[in-house]
Amino acid sequence: MDFDFSDDQEQLRDAVRKWVDKGYSFERRRAAVKAGGFSRAAYGEIAELGLCGLYIGEAHGGLGMGPIEGMVVMEELGRGIVLEPFAQTLIAGGVLSGYAAPALQTEWLPKIASGEALVVLAQQERAARYRLDRCDATASASGSAWSLNAAKSIVPAGDQADAFIVPARVGDKIALFLVRRDAAGVRTRGYGTQDGGRAAEVVFQNATASLITTDGLTALEHAVDIGIAACCAEAVGVMDKTMAITAEYLNTRKQFGVVISSFQALRHRAADMKMQLELARSMSYYASLKLNAPAPERRAAMARAKVQLGQSMRFVGQQAVQLHGGIGVTDEYIVSHYFKKLTQLELTYGDTLHHLGEVSARMEDTAGVFA
Amino acid sequence: MDLAFTPEEQQFRTEIRAWVRDNLPADISHKVHNALRLSRDDMQRWAKILGKKGWLGHAWPKQFGGPGWNSVQKHLFEEECALAGAPRVVPFGPVMVAPVIMAFGNAEQQQRFLPGIASGEVWWSQGYSEPGSGSDLASVKTRAERQGDKYIVNGQKTWTTLGQYGEWIFCLVRTSNEGKPQTGISFLLIDMKSPGVSVRPIVLLDGEAEVNEVFFDNVEVPAANLIGEENKGWTYAKHLLSHERTNIADVNRSKRELERLKRIAKAEGVYEDVRFRDEIARLEVEVVALEMLVLRVLAAEKSGKQSLDIAGLLKIRGSELQQRYAELMMLAAGPYAVPLVHEAMEAGWQGDHVGAAHCAPLASTYFNLRKTTIYGGSNEVQRNIVSQVVLG
Repeated sequence: MDFDFSDDQEQLRDAVRKWVDKGYSFERRRAAVKAGGFSRAAYGEIAELGLCGLYIGEAHGGLGMGPIEGMVVMEELGRGIVLEPFAQTLIAGGVLSGYAAPALQTEWLPKIASGEALVVLAQQERAARYRLDRCDATASASGSAWSLNAAKSIVPAGDQADAFIVPARVGDKIALFLVRRDAAGVRTRGYGTQDGGRAAEVVFQNATASLITTDGLTALEHAVDIGIAACCAEAVGVMDKTMAITAEYLNTRKQFGVVISSFQALRHRAADMKMQLELARSMSYYASLKLNAPAPERRAAMARAKVQLGQSMRFVGQQAVQLHGGIGVTDEYIVSHYFKKLTQLELTYGDTLHHLGEVSARMEDTAGVFA
Repeated sequence: MDLAFTPEEQQFRTEIRAWVRDNLPADISHKVHNALRLSRDDMQRWAKILGKKGWLGHAWPKQFGGPGWNSVQKHLFEEECALAGAPRVVPFGPVMVAPVIMAFGNAEQQQRFLPGIASGEVWWSQGYSEPGSGSDLASVKTRAERQGDKYIVNGQKTWTTLGQYGEWIFCLVRTSNEGKPQTGISFLLIDMKSPGVSVRPIVLLDGEAEVNEVFFDNVEVPAANLIGEENKGWTYAKHLLSHERTNIADVNRSKRELERLKRIAKAEGVYEDVRFRDEIARLEVEVVALEMLVLRVLAAEKSGKQSLDIAGLLKIRGSELQQRYAELMMLAAGPYAVPLVHEAMEAGWQGDHVGAAHCAPLASTYFNLRKTTIYGGSNEVQRNIVSQVVLG
């Protein structure tokens, strides 16, 4: 029972925070949003910090670190509402290290670790909503290679990424593939997202694919769980900063001749936001601490965490805007951008109601942190 | 970071579990698991069993005869007791007044009072609230006037939980009207058998007389019963309130009651109703989140490395969840929570239940637990405290 961070973890946090504070200003972010919502240069700077190899072993040029380090990095990136989809790099590193054959690992992991290649998960399909076992994409073997047909949606930075991790059916089983964006038969259509970031529709038409694993559903669930834990940690960082911005505003803004933080209605709302933030932080810890648990336990933990985080994100985001009053609904002021990030994170890898259903379906007679 | 308890802590839990299994009387745990009425004897029997083992003051340091456990061990002990269906230890003696006597009482007072508290022999009550002093506790008016080697006490305390059983009561009394309200308060121990002390029950909305008014009419109290210095009582009272911060969340009891909620929902046929089941699922997530919050506070206390500003959240959330499980249990019973038959809440009642036996206490518990967001500093006062952390 220990929730302290090690000295190394604190140093990691400091390094990321320093980059966010100095290198990722609100103005720079605004320019990146205008330019399409993704900056390869900013992603390159994250890579220069060595972060892209977090879940990749040292043999492949990575750091071989674990979920707590991933959590620390995501919290700090969340604090700066960084647009570049770093969670995808954690997913790619984790999934390829865990499930791909050695040759594929050797081909891709060093490039991911160095930041040379951005690899993202392309699992969303129109009919699936948040279900992972629903997959219309298909793949078939042609000689030693594979050919893949799919229409994937809302793929993070999908028209900027270098390759995709794609689930597709082989017969009645889901397998997981890696497809290069520059492969023949791959078409992308990019667009902006709620948070100012970027996503794309990606169509694969007889595209050449490399098999990651035939046990695709197992690997996909793991991939999404890495994504959920990252999402939770990112949300904690976003909420932490949202809270700080709101507290500062309440202590500065004057109405009726006094700072509005003197009004009890607003103070109690701030207390309720703090409650939601700390429950969320607790469950983000829980998610990351359970990320290496056996699959059933891990899945159950992610569902619980995402329910709490979803509730907290919605409350903290909405109330931050409310407590700012008129300035809160402007594009010019920073708080609306934090609110939009929180809104998008709730919808990422399963919203609150979806995961409530998951918790409900898995309920046992007893329940607690250890059961 | 590590979620697991150490092997030593797990071994400790195993030992506690075995001891509780062997020593907790089955008739008592049956009542607790089914929310049936506990008598004074039930509570006292369990207190004395713990006292004999030296665990009634389970949070006490070794120098006063306690086991000297750290925060995690205390938590494990409380959890094992709660899950096994042990009654909550009546806190006024071992949890509330004892730490004050240890910290601020003199050696004579420690020798005189602590053994009776540790053994469970002496029943203590709390004399804090008054008719005009609820959340604004510093406004207490009960007067204690020094006359030679004794104080003459006049006034009234209220909401005295289980005061009908009380043998001693610790009181905040006014010994001065000068300066700020906080500076004229003293901490006095009063023998409830003294002439001039009278206790009158207050029937609450559940029909039970769980709390009382306590009147003091020219009660003579030896000056030797003053804790620490005159007019410094507020400091001691705050020390008391800062004790047992995690225990106030009562998350272990919520875990046990969540299990009972599921049993009742199954028996009443609503567990498979998606709308109802999702409400249970939501509570399950909330209980786990509260448990994580509690564990964070415990771990911080144990390691001493982090300073956490979240302890103030525990009372708010813990009390809200207690009300929520009671509400859901009542809703699970639906129309069968409407009959309020007091005899049916006694263990071994032979009458005909309306609906299932488990329905009998549900409304009563729901009504009773409305107190949790009011006592111990109302949740609105708690929010004031939390907002100070956030906004200064």
